[in-house]
Amino acid sequence: MVNKQLIISSLLSLVFVLTAFVVSAEVSVDAGKQLFKANCAQCHNRNMKDNLTGPALGGVQERWAGREELLYGWIRNSQSVIASGDPYAVDLYNTWNKVLMNPFPNLTDDEIGSILAYVDAVYTGTEGGAAAAGPVAVVEQPKTNYTLIYGVLALLLALIALILARIVGNLDHMNKVAGGDLDAPRPSFREILTSKSVIAFVIFALIVLGGYTTVNNAISFGRQQNYQPEQPIKFSHVTHAGVHKIDCQYCHDGARRSKHSVIPAANTCMNCHKAIKKGSTYGTAELTKIFASVGYDPTTDKYIENYDAMSTEEIEAIYKKWITDNYIADKELATLDAKGEKAVKDQWNNLVASLTSENDPKIGGPIEWNRIHNLPDHVYFNHAQHVTIGKVDCQQCHGKVEEMEVVRQYATLSMGWCINCHRETEVKFNDNEYYKSYEKYHQELASGKREKVTVEDIGGTECQKCHY
Amino acid sequence: MKQPSKEMWVSAQDLRNDPELLAAANREFPESSIVEDLGKEGTMDRLESSRRDFLKFLGFSLGAATVAASCEIPVKKAIPYVIKPDSIVPGVANYYASAYVDGGDFLSVLVKTREGRPIKIEGNALSPMTKGGTSARAQASVLSLYDTSRLQSPGSVTDGQVTPMSWEDLDKAVMAGLATGGSIRMVSRTILSPTAKAAIAAFREKYPNASLVQYDPVSCAALLDAQEMSYGVRAVPSYHFDKADVIVSFDADFLGTWISPVEYAKAYSTGRKISDVKSARMSRHYQVESFMSLTGSNADHRVMVKPSEQGAAIATLYNAIASAKGASTVTAPALNDKAKKALANVAKDLLNAQGKSLVVTGVNNLAEQVLVAKMNALLGNDGATVTFNDHSYQRQGDDKALAGLIQEMNAGSVGTLMVLDGNPAFDNAQGKAFMEAMAKVPTRIAFGGTLDETGAACTHVAPTTHLLESWGDAQPKADQVYLIQPTIAPLFPVRQWEESLLRWAQSPELDTTSDQPYYEFLKKNWERTFSSGASSFTSFWESTLHDGLLTLPGSAAGGTNNADVSSVASSLTKPSTADEIVFFESVNMGAGQHAGNPWLQEMPDPITRCVWGNYLYVPIGWDGGNDYTFFQGLEDGDRVNLEIDGQSVEVTVVHQFGLMPGTFAIAQGYGRKVVGKAGRNIGSDVQGFLNTNPAGYASSMASGVTISSRVGRDKEFACVQHHHTMGVTGADPSTGKTINVDEKTVATIGAGFQGSLVDRSIIFRGNLAELEQLEEKIHHKREEFQALNDKGLYPSYDDVYKMGHHWGMHIDLNACIGCGACTVACMAENNVPVVGKREVFRHHEMAWLRIDRYFYGEMENPNVVYQPMMCQHCDNAPCENVCPVSATNHSSEGLNQMAYNRCIGTRYCANNCPYKVRRFNWLDYTTADLFPANEPRLNGEEMPFGADNLTRMVLNPDVTVRARGVMEKCSFCVQRIQEGKLTAKKEGRALRDGDVKSACMTACPTDAITFGDLNNTESQLNNDLESPLVYQVLEEVNTRPSVNYRARVLNREESLES
Repeated sequence: MVNKQLIISSLLSLVFVLTAFVVSAEVSVDAGKQLFKANCAQCHNRNMKDNLTGPALGGVQERWAGREELLYGWIRNSQSVIASGDPYAVDLYNTWNKVLMNPFPNLTDDEIGSILAYVDAVYTGTEGGAAAAGPVAVVEQPKTNYTLIYGVLALLLALIALILARIVGNLDHMNKVAGGDLDAPRPSFREILTSKSVIAFVIFALIVLGGYTTVNNAISFGRQQNYQPEQPIKFSHVTHAGVHKIDCQYCHDGARRSKHSVIPAANTCMNCHKAIKKGSTYGTAELTKIFASVGYDPTTDKYIENYDAMSTEEIEAIYKKWITDNYIADKELATLDAKGEKAVKDQWNNLVASLTSENDPKIGGPIEWNRIHNLPDHVYFNHAQHVTIGKVDCQQCHGKVEEMEVVRQYATLSMGWCINCHRETEVKFNDNEYYKSYEKYHQELASGKREKVTVEDIGGTECQKCHY
Repeated sequence: MKQPSKEMWVSAQDLRNDPELLAAANREFPESSIVEDLGKEGTMDRLESSRRDFLKFLGFSLGAATVAASCEIPVKKAIPYVIKPDSIVPGVANYYASAYVDGGDFLSVLVKTREGRPIKIEGNALSPMTKGGTSARAQASVLSLYDTSRLQSPGSVTDGQVTPMSWEDLDKAVMAGLATGGSIRMVSRTILSPTAKAAIAAFREKYPNASLVQYDPVSCAALLDAQEMSYGVRAVPSYHFDKADVIVSFDADFLGTWISPVEYAKAYSTGRKISDVKSARMSRHYQVESFMSLTGSNADHRVMVKPSEQGAAIATLYNAIASAKGASTVTAPALNDKAKKALANVAKDLLNAQGKSLVVTGVNNLAEQVLVAKMNALLGNDGATVTFNDHSYQRQGDDKALAGLIQEMNAGSVGTLMVLDGNPAFDNAQGKAFMEAMAKVPTRIAFGGTLDETGAACTHVAPTTHLLESWGDAQPKADQVYLIQPTIAPLFPVRQWEESLLRWAQSPELDTTSDQPYYEFLKKNWERTFSSGASSFTSFWESTLHDGLLTLPGSAAGGTNNADVSSVASSLTKPSTADEIVFFESVNMGAGQHAGNPWLQEMPDPITRCVWGNYLYVPIGWDGGNDYTFFQGLEDGDRVNLEIDGQSVEVTVVHQFGLMPGTFAIAQGYGRKVVGKAGRNIGSDVQGFLNTNPAGYASSMASGVTISSRVGRDKEFACVQHHHTMGVTGADPSTGKTINVDEKTVATIGAGFQGSLVDRSIIFRGNLAELEQLEEKIHHKREEFQALNDKGLYPSYDDVYKMGHHWGMHIDLNACIGCGACTVACMAENNVPVVGKREVFRHHEMAWLRIDRYFYGEMENPNVVYQPMMCQHCDNAPCENVCPVSATNHSSEGLNQMAYNRCIGTRYCANNCPYKVRRFNWLDYTTADLFPANEPRLNGEEMPFGADNLTRMVLNPDVTVRARGVMEKCSFCVQRIQEGKLTAKKEGRALRDGDVKSACMTACPTDAITFGDLNNTESQLNNDLESPLVYQVLEEVNTRPSVNYRARVLNREESLES
């Protein structure tokens, strides 16, 4: 059985490795399309002709002609190209208000080539029909619920115990009768159930069960699994990560390099929402909150000068105008009707309530999100270790966030949960030079003495890996 | 030679087997319990409770717990940036090159910031001067940024009370004052910044009647004047202690406080380390002094003289050298015979090392400084160990100019006094006169960031930014300029003093419309002054800012000594027979400017190991046998009256070895009245005794001192000397034999049993001439220990440790000078709480790293060895076995891990630790617990130290803040280990040597500490461990520590002492 699984999994991984190899080994428009969607489409217009958050990419190769190396360097890390002082790069940076392009250090030359080929194909109109690329199916472990089986089993056992007690009683009775005691009583079911030993057993069982529940509940004090608070902005991960497939790390850009995954700063939102000023679900209601937080006037498409010093009334005027204008445009009205006035007022009041608090009466300034994942102060957790080095999917700990309209805490975040994963997870031992110092394990792996090295094997369950 | 009965000792009490000390050392926690203490105070009386009360409490707590448990968990907020700066990734530290400047004290540093918040100071290895070394004061400077007593706005001052006002109002008031006429005087400690001087020049352009007076709290004016007299340049030459084979210092504490201690310590240690035993070489260091300074404690030979005999000593040595070199001699005043004899030998040594020796003196006397400069010239040291093309500007003060200013103020001709930097009404010999004189000036402005004695006597305060909030530069040496950059925006609406000056001068150079006007001014000044030759100023500026420094070609100043010694010889100090006292600068407190810094207050003095105060050092007498007499029968902690010329101050006494009979010593700068909570009335104020000598130089000694008999007792005498002792020997009451008192029970089991050894291997020491014997001794002992240790019953885990990493440490006792930088660095890195004087008195200090100080050798003039002692991360740790909840256990990387959240506070581990390095949180020192009403008060503060959100900004976010009731100890900076590993993994490479450095290692100015991976055969650590002088402390008890020490070696010429 185990062998069979092993064979299947190794075959599968072989196939995977081969396809990955094939994909990355050559330049192809199809691969480029996938890569573009995954990496570029959040900022660059798909028609390659219009500007979005980033410039239109059509004709990019001509613009960088003769300096392909710099272009590739730009895509991997534009900052270094700007720092090198290339006049075109510096000019580009300045034209785009000194907003840096996200770095993609992991793209290979072939991958970049593919993207550029795709860009060129779309721009020149030679790109073929929309190839259907279905979303990758997420393999889900079937979760079996054993409670029923346990219940039935317990009932069965209880029944057997009862029957056995009855049999023992009967045999005892027969024995006594055979011994000459003809009046020996024969225990009824009722007598068996109310006998001292059964009562003692039941009390004992209750104490054990009660103790077990108490201890378990005591241990889980302060745990917040399924905690799902309302947030000041009805930000939908379904829309962003689910529908538009924006990579988690586009916004949570700390995850790959820091202990914190980082809740994105409002200016990260503005990368896209300078162009997309109305939401698909809530219209102006939620997005205006971001504009009001950073001080961006969506009507004029400009950041407001001296926003910090503005009074609430001035701010109100700017954003109410934006909400009203949109309301009128949406409803195709000439002027704002009474219903509209109420809607605008409601939206504004909701905005103020979301962006201010007792300690922070100002509308501008940071958005105070409700923190969902809280670790105790004596726990050290590092996202980079898990995301960048361990290559753990975000979903493994956070659940399918792309399906959560309102994010909730998926895991228990208990120590047992952490430890369990550390016990089971295999370290990608051969991928990282760092692990070379574990010579003994490498030898054992090579000689087949060891199947895998888990996080626990290299000290991943020791206290001071997380507590210091 | 007179040798005491013991090989090595920590104190006189130890030498005479003081029963109280032995009793205390027998217990892990010698102090009475908190309940008992409170009971004694009467606090417990009102807390007495009956059985009924107990049941009530029980019921209430149970009910409260139930209610609390059913409550909702509080909502926590996550607040992101609005616009995230590109350079900041939350959770990742940034480092910025900057400089630590404190008057003339200078260090090149890197400032570690987290989320834009400075939390730690590291040394900048790029600096050719300090080469990455730091000092305790620099390490602690980050805490003063978050000082709750900082002035939060400008204001007017009446009767020492500040009434806040706006900058506009202040500007108006000050400029009105400036316009009224009368001369304008600026007074400051040494200013190292060329741009600040440019700002002063701009100010003087507008106000030609303004001038600047610089002074140094602990003056070096005589040295400067002597240099001017001898070489024509009024600046400190560069001293190269690394190039000197023979070093003679007359009262110059060049490792602790004198001019540039970190630079000197770095250089000094290169000449003191023994890298190769076969061809071992060491410099020889003579210290001529009257009390044991930090530098003196590191010397091979100390020559003891009375403070007033320094002149005689210098003249004697000068004459010996001059007559050998055929130069003219001077009339030397009388000197004690012992010193005379010793100095004759010193002269021989110096003459044998011509061009490779160095003589320095810290005495503020012109004649003596001239003679010392001449000595260096005669010995051919000029241009070799003393160089002039890279002058140091770290002392520029002029005592006479300060005296002149006081005269002017008294005459009423000064209209405005501006105190740019320093506390001139307190921190120097003329402080009292200054205080009286400044009252006659109509407008007085102090720029200090906190209110001090001078500020309280001013009319206005215009608080300047903290160093870590400031732009600036510093030129500590002619050939090096450093940039200071802010690492945080000013926490309060304060303004840099340079900017204030420029604003008041309405200087056209200052662009007041800019966000940071002084930054623009600084850049302009640099563009004018330093950027010549650079193609683009922007790139020049950015690279300089990145590195933190710019090297310049040195000036071509000559090095010909033209001094006529006979013209000054008459002003040599005349020895006196009266009792004398020295007022010295302490390593941590300086001239009192650091009094408000609790980290420095709680850092033990290297020699006396006392904290929170200054203590009068009194000599110890010895009958030559086993008895020791203390001056007037005074015990440590007794209070006495110190009287000079009818002035009297009450002080606390502490015994001091190596103190010249008839001499006393006490640190200056204590007993401050106007300072933040931490420093108020800590210690005794002896500033009033400071005086100037007839030639106008500040003097740090006084003659004709009388010490009264005991007038009382310091009830909280805080000296850590006898705390956490691990090897105190004493007499066994039953046999009378000397045994280790803390091993008494084991000893009864039988001779030869491990642990009962009388001479435990704590310190190995030897002399350079007999290095082979020492090597053999260590080898022999270790062989014996290891043979015994190998006979263990338990399996070894060596194969586990051989994989991955195995962390270890090496400490070179020959390089360690005891300066304490590591202890403060450790407190900063690991959020170690400050506990206050009372708690230290109760043995509750929390420092993870202590520096044990042992005396050895001659009883009356002993040598000293410092031993940094922290958790040894034993691979066979006694603490781990006794923990009932396994809160302390071993990691596969050889770390002795402490899980705070698991600890239940039995303290068994501390009891079982042979090194005594575990610290228990007796009280809620960090105020991490919930109910502030229960807090103990440190130093009578209303709010405990560390409870304020401002102070908490200094905390390292990667280290847990421990709560009451848990044990803690050195973690080998595990957060740094994990960070180093993570970086290596992210970059997909093996961990390199030097990727992980503990905080103590990076702080050390002498590179005495090496931390690293024992499994990395290429590592510096393994290289260091190859020395045959390496040993482990208490190796015989089979703890298998991961910390290794290298034996202490002196370069003594024994024949000199006979």
